[in-house]
Amino acid sequence: MTAVKTPSVPPTSSAGAASASRARLTAGARLAWLHLRSRRGPTAVLALAACAAALRAVLHWQLTAGGGLAQEIPMIIEAGAAVLVVVTTHSPFGEAERATGRWLPYLRLGAVLALTGAAIGLLQLGATGAALNDGVLTLARNVIGLTGIGLLTSLVTGGLLAWIVPLAYVGFAEYTLAEAWRAPWMWPGRPPSDRGAWICAAVVFAVGLLAFAVRGARTRLADDA
Amino acid sequence: MTAVALPRPGRRFRPARTVRLEIKHSPVVWTLPALALIFYYDTYRTALGQTPTWANYASLINGHMLIYICVVGSGLAAWAGAREGRRKTGDLLATTARAPWARQVTVLAATAFWMVLAYLGETTAIYVQAARVSTWGSPPLWPVAVGVVCTVAACAIGFTAGALFPGRFIAPIVAVAVFAGEFVGFKAVDNTYDGAYGGGDSTNALLVPGQGLPHLLEAGVFYRIPPDVYVAQLMFMGGLLLATAGLLALSPAARVPGVRGVSLAAAGGRALVTLAAVAVAGGVAAAATAYAVAGTAQLNQQTGNWAIPALHDAATDRPVPYTPVCASAAFRVCIHPAFAEFLDPVSAALQPAAAEVAGLPGAPARAELAVNWALPAAAGTTSVYAYSGTGTGGVGGSWFGGPPAEIIDAYWLQGVQQGFLFWFVDGAAVNASGNPDPAQQAVADALLAKIGAPAPDLGPFTKAGTPPASPGPAAQASAAEIAAAARRFGSLSTPAQRAWLTAHVAALRAGRVTLAEVP
Repeated sequence: MTAVKTPSVPPTSSAGAASASRARLTAGARLAWLHLRSRRGPTAVLALAACAAALRAVLHWQLTAGGGLAQEIPMIIEAGAAVLVVVTTHSPFGEAERATGRWLPYLRLGAVLALTGAAIGLLQLGATGAALNDGVLTLARNVIGLTGIGLLTSLVTGGLLAWIVPLAYVGFAEYTLAEAWRAPWMWPGRPPSDRGAWICAAVVFAVGLLAFAVRGARTRLADDA
Repeated sequence: MTAVALPRPGRRFRPARTVRLEIKHSPVVWTLPALALIFYYDTYRTALGQTPTWANYASLINGHMLIYICVVGSGLAAWAGAREGRRKTGDLLATTARAPWARQVTVLAATAFWMVLAYLGETTAIYVQAARVSTWGSPPLWPVAVGVVCTVAACAIGFTAGALFPGRFIAPIVAVAVFAGEFVGFKAVDNTYDGAYGGGDSTNALLVPGQGLPHLLEAGVFYRIPPDVYVAQLMFMGGLLLATAGLLALSPAARVPGVRGVSLAAAGGRALVTLAAVAVAGGVAAAATAYAVAGTAQLNQQTGNWAIPALHDAATDRPVPYTPVCASAAFRVCIHPAFAEFLDPVSAALQPAAAEVAGLPGAPARAELAVNWALPAAAGTTSVYAYSGTGTGGVGGSWFGGPPAEIIDAYWLQGVQQGFLFWFVDGAAVNASGNPDPAQQAVADALLAKIGAPAPDLGPFTKAGTPPASPGPAAQASAAEIAAAARRFGSLSTPAQRAWLTAHVAALRAGRVTLAEVP
């Protein structure tokens, strides 16, 4: 028989509770950071910065001047930013990740919200001081709505191929922009004050975000990135 | 123990089965419904509203459809090219019998197969519709060739990007870059056309395959569209394709792990290394040459076509012979067979207008469709009234910018009548001055009122070389005076009108009749 010295239980105190709270926050931040890194979040932010630079270049060289092109090229760049956010929904761990704790839906939610906000912020930074047609409100609405479409698509195709439907939607939106469609569900072509367009974009984003947070992107055994 | 002679493994490359498997399992198939939907709305429905000529329809297959084919093709090709890196199976596949470049070419071929199939299917749909509505001409094949090469080039570029930079972001980045690049190209082409008419801008942008609708409604009708620009585009796209294929073969993606040197050496292919290097150099040279020759393009104002001197055949500048179709009526109206559906409406509109001036000095004996942007000869100098289908000329006129069933209405017919009667009274100076003078306008308005056509709403009269007068009380009073003079002239009996016109129409056309002198 061996006597084992058991560690003493520290007395409960406010200092201990604060220390435990700090430890939880640190662990939570580290978990969020690891989650973002597993989704290639930092690379996505760099790519979003490149999109912002592209938007800046387009506005600087006045490639948006002239009729319908005033909105078409910025719309494509906004779609690019949205699909970059969408592609980060793919998990490299596959179904095994779903067996982890209860924090996964919150991590998914936070990651998408953070990257969407980063996309809007960086694009607006790129457009600062330049004449962006319809302004930042249309930019934000397009990014939000297209991201929602991509999140819904990821439930079916998986994160890696979820960029197809948003780009197809933008392709169709280019046509409706030229034809001056007024349907609110084609929000890229609507003015920034169009309430129906805002509602449609926001609803699509909310539904997509909620569904993605709960279900996550579809995973297949063949996917690995 | 028995010695067994093992057969030497065959060294022939038989890709057919591999390509079939790749085609069967390609994800491109799942995008075809989306492409079909975009094609229907953006291209097919647009085609239904175009002037029914082969050139107009052909312009849509590259001006509208090709961009989406290239975007999806490049993105999915990048996806396919990144497959080995994404799944980290490069080392495993390196142990297979086939050379890496052969394996990658089959994957690229499968992706390109579906995209080319989609492009040709949509082209067929457009050309079938064109065959149903066109009354003259044949399907142009140069745009189809350009589209096929552009599609394959886009797939090759995407695939190479995916093979070189495998990852989750490469496919959407390539697709968006191609998407944005195409629209930047469209903007550059618009600038080229603006520069061609206003002077100055570069013509290198003509290398962009999708140039939208032709800037001339009658393109390919009176003069063949020369293949100069198409050849330059093929050279450019083909050069990009060649350079990309060579780059892929030389890239680390095609390298066998553990073997030093360039990728193809392990496959015993020093000749292939040389070939790949030559392909890169040749492709870059071809693309650069195409860029340089495209910069020398000049717009022929008579034919409406672009000509690149190094590629141009002067024979294409000769008019295309045709037999006009004519309507049987008192006033003979003829038209090019390509626009035969417009003959009856134009003739119906011109009969009452021609009857008003029949027998007067300068009255034409017949009407024919003008060639491209050509203005009609001044009334009094010709027996033929050359009406325009492109909307050029003075007041009113006809415009063939759509299917007859959609664009021809009472307003359109009245425009034809306005164009004819104003041409009759305006003379040679109208196109220089912009609008008829008050006396000419009053007489023309009176003649239009007799046949039930409204008077056009014209701006104030300006003489050549002077800035247009700003609208104000003087202009408004002049409009009232013109209307009063028109009513006054219209109240005359027909014999009195004809007698006055017989005596004064030449002076009226020369601008020597004042408003007060109109009876």
